[in-house]
Amino acid sequence: MASDLTTWLREWVNPKISDEALAERLTMAGLEVDSIVPVAPYFENVVVGYVMSCEKHPNADKLSLCQVNIGENNNLQIICGAVNIRANLKVIVAMVGAILPNGLKIKKAKIRGVESFGMICSEVELGIADDSNSISELDSDAPIGKNIRKYLDLDDNIIELNITPNRADCFSVLGVAREVSANYGLPFKMPNISVSAQGISSIKTNVSNTTACPKYLTRSILGIDNTVEIPKWMVDKLMRSGQVLHSPVVDIINYVLLELGQPMHAFDALKINGSIEVRNAKLGEKCELLNETIVTLQGDTLVISDDEKVLAIAGVIGSMLSSTQPNSIDILLESAFFNPISIAGIARNYGLHTESSLRFERGVDFAITEVAMERATQLIIEICGGRASDVSTCIDKVNLPELTPITITQDKIYKILGFELDSKWVEEKFIGLGFEICDKTDNSWTIIPPSFRFDIRISLDLIEELARLYGYDKLPVQKLMFDVNIDAMPEAQLDKYDISQFLVARGYQEVITYSFVSEKYHNLINANANKIVLSNPISADMSVMRSSLMSGLLQSVESNQRRGHSNARFFEIGLCFDGIEANKQLNKLAGIISGNRFNVQWASEAVPLDFFDAKADLESLFELTSTKFTFTTGEHPVLQKGQTAKIEFNAEQVGWIGALAPNVAKELSLPKCYLFEIELNAVLSGRVAKYKSFSQYQEVQRDIALMLNEAIPVAELINSIEALQQPDFVNVNLFDIYAGKNIEPGKKSVALNLTYQSLKATLNDDEVNSKVSEVLALMQKKFDAVQR
Amino acid sequence: MVAALFVSVKMINDVTQKAKSAIDNTNDLVNLDKIRVEFLGKKGRLTVILKELGKLSKEERPKIGKAINQAKFIVQDLLCKRKNQLEAIELEKRLLNEKIDVSLPGRNVEIGGLHPVTITLKRIQSLFVKNGFKVETGPEIEDDFHNFSALNIPEHHPARTMHDTFYFDEGSVLRTHTSPVQIRTMKNQKPPVRIIAPGKVYRCDSDITHTPMFHQLEGLIIDKDVNFAQLKGLLIDFLRTYFEKQDLKVRFRPSYFPFTEPSAEADIECVICDGEGCRVCKKTGWLEVLGCGVVHPNVLNSVKIDSEKYTGLAFGMGIERLAMLRYGVNDLRLFFENDIRFLRQFK
Repeated sequence: MASDLTTWLREWVNPKISDEALAERLTMAGLEVDSIVPVAPYFENVVVGYVMSCEKHPNADKLSLCQVNIGENNNLQIICGAVNIRANLKVIVAMVGAILPNGLKIKKAKIRGVESFGMICSEVELGIADDSNSISELDSDAPIGKNIRKYLDLDDNIIELNITPNRADCFSVLGVAREVSANYGLPFKMPNISVSAQGISSIKTNVSNTTACPKYLTRSILGIDNTVEIPKWMVDKLMRSGQVLHSPVVDIINYVLLELGQPMHAFDALKINGSIEVRNAKLGEKCELLNETIVTLQGDTLVISDDEKVLAIAGVIGSMLSSTQPNSIDILLESAFFNPISIAGIARNYGLHTESSLRFERGVDFAITEVAMERATQLIIEICGGRASDVSTCIDKVNLPELTPITITQDKIYKILGFELDSKWVEEKFIGLGFEICDKTDNSWTIIPPSFRFDIRISLDLIEELARLYGYDKLPVQKLMFDVNIDAMPEAQLDKYDISQFLVARGYQEVITYSFVSEKYHNLINANANKIVLSNPISADMSVMRSSLMSGLLQSVESNQRRGHSNARFFEIGLCFDGIEANKQLNKLAGIISGNRFNVQWASEAVPLDFFDAKADLESLFELTSTKFTFTTGEHPVLQKGQTAKIEFNAEQVGWIGALAPNVAKELSLPKCYLFEIELNAVLSGRVAKYKSFSQYQEVQRDIALMLNEAIPVAELINSIEALQQPDFVNVNLFDIYAGKNIEPGKKSVALNLTYQSLKATLNDDEVNSKVSEVLALMQKKFDAVQR
Repeated sequence: MVAALFVSVKMINDVTQKAKSAIDNTNDLVNLDKIRVEFLGKKGRLTVILKELGKLSKEERPKIGKAINQAKFIVQDLLCKRKNQLEAIELEKRLLNEKIDVSLPGRNVEIGGLHPVTITLKRIQSLFVKNGFKVETGPEIEDDFHNFSALNIPEHHPARTMHDTFYFDEGSVLRTHTSPVQIRTMKNQKPPVRIIAPGKVYRCDSDITHTPMFHQLEGLIIDKDVNFAQLKGLLIDFLRTYFEKQDLKVRFRPSYFPFTEPSAEADIECVICDGEGCRVCKKTGWLEVLGCGVVHPNVLNSVKIDSEKYTGLAFGMGIERLAMLRYGVNDLRLFFENDIRFLRQFK
């Protein structure tokens, strides 16, 4: 983000349009304007006044009766309550008819019997300061009668620009002025810069790492007064740009930074011992920075040092010890070019982010170094006095960024933008942007980008420049054409939306929870799962990548429960993490149910949900697939022992279902819940139907009742009957299960219905009886189950 | 014993008369059937007379026979009519009995719902799939190559710090955008490519307008003759269809993404205030909704696609933002609080 002042900008280039229109144009040119805020709110009829006389109000102790001249013979009688009001003062006068930003309308008034024709204002009342308990005292040379807006330069807007990382050149008034100039085809004007050096030599300088620092300029300025006040125009510009005032030298350097985009540094020359060296830090070298922290430097950090100590982290921040102070007399100015690659990341390594590092990381114009040195010198001498030395220059041209010519053809423009640009217009724009056309043919140009454009390296960069100056909005709009292809669409493949839609129809609400969970939840759900920990989590609650969707579902039930919604059916589909490798990141589907089967209603009693409600949902879902899943007793850390099943497919476990373990429910303040979780892939293969003919003959059904050991799972009975593969067997159906009264303890009675049907004839009793006998014999042999 | 049968027409008429009064006086169907048996059954009174017919003289036989048949017909007809009457009465009674309050709700009508992010993703996805785009997905824990360097974001690139990346010790990251799916796709698939990649992305940022996890949908087209003008056309069409507003104003502005050049951001006229200026559009009348551009040759080169021969077009959008604008949701954080008072509104 960078702030620009429209008045400052207009000193350089002044298109005849409103500030708002200018802001809009900048946005459309790629310098996104985040906001445009007036320096002062709207008000009129406020002028500079001169208090000719000031007496006590005849009827009020705390009020003064003033005669105020507002130009020529125009005198106003004004009653004022400020403590600092006195004669011979230049003040801000709101005349009758003025409307102040706070809504106050100035009218002729009678205060304690005396008439008053206006109001003497503070800056707060004009909305240009936040607090003040007295009226403003203007400079004694303020021209009486002058409109305050003009006198204080209040018709100014602060434009906040959202500078993209490629446009470091726009971190300055110069840069934005160049953009405006290119956009409107107007020339822009640099300030006059002239310096007379006094033939003194600067401090001896040596650059030992010229890769990182190809260009290093210094200059001494001797005998300055660093206690003077900087001029109002500079104060306004700095303050409105969001700068804090320090001392004149620092303020001037900040001013040059905003103006030209060159970060500079000023050392107190008397604190430098011997000569200056630009080098890499020695491992473990310490330095107290300007922000009052002491850092231990790393070996890759470029520093500025003298014979004894580190004076600054190059391009980032200066040291406390060498900084200029109000009593500094001799200073050493630095203006340098540091390679972005050498500066990048350095500030961050020390937890720093400075205006200087921001610019150097993204690229500072390496041709502005000298100009900035001259500009800063000029301003320092103008404001603080002093004598400038010659500039000491260390340049390693080989290590300066290379400006390689780029060729662009009309064909390429056409290929990318879909239309042709006028050649003359293209050339005009290239020149307007400061590009040097070093070669051209009828339909191509070879250009050299300017030193401030680090982002212009390939022909597409040039096309973007042309496109944005042409206006993205004016670029043509065309239809995208494709070849028609009928792509593969496997009928048996389900997608996750089929699954989601199915669960929605069964009453489930989808939730999306964060992929990271707390360590507590991770350990609770499955302490044995691979723990993938974020190095920089938002909070401890969001520090481990989930290995299961259960934690999110439990939290969703818990939070909704807290808000009074006790019935819940939630599901989520999302990646779970068993490792950082791509193949260890698996999509899972999980569901949770809690509360009653249905919301309170007239048609049925409230029935609490149980295991078989969850299982029914899952089994119905399995009906969509061609896959045969089995449920077998299992144990899971969060699920209740005895009410937990592993879900398997081809002897491989793909999921879990079970009741939430009572101890976990208690710990998480949760009611009875039932959970299931399954690998999404396991339920994504459906089937393509295959017709089989069916019998014309009657089917025959037989019921059998078996008494057997309670511990034997019924599924095993059914599986073994199915595994018999009897001819004409259709299916077996469990229709009753009973234990308790009249049944021996430890036993249960199971009633099964067997169905047989032949394709050839109706089966007779004998045939069916023998099949049933075979089943009964198997049951007896395998499960010790006897017919009741 | 000579059958002392004395059959006369009068007698038949008497029987008929009796049957008629019995039929008229009965009020239930069971009784009616008894009457049928009494008169017309195997041993019924008219049947019995008919059986005696043979014993009559030749002269009498046709006369009496005719009278009996007539009587049978009459009784049959009376029975039938009475039966219909009684059935109608019975049905009326039953209907009255079975009357229900049809305004009562049906049993167990509760259905669930999809999350608004899913609804939005699904809708956008289907718009593109209908037009020949394939859906691709990728891992959420990514390596540096796929998330950054292959996308022309080398180490120390300023864009990296702007991404607020979540890191793991091993140097992997939580993907900061769906763009790595572009790289994975281009590595495995020869051009032409036409894909969209929806999914979760992560940034280390959490406040009123940022959640550390959110959703993006990325699109990629690699072909020989595609250009920026077509990208504009595609996205304008998409936005107008998504917001179901055929005159929706869309504007393109230059922007910067390391992986595209030229790069653009697309704004739509504010759908909250119709471009008048409101809090949502920060009084500008415009809302930024997506980023796009021509794929940077460095990206194509990193996956060994000839950037002279092929041009890439790419676009990416934030799903929560599009959902918020479409459904008028004013707080991003609601999407991940999973409050059913919020979620149920999207059934």
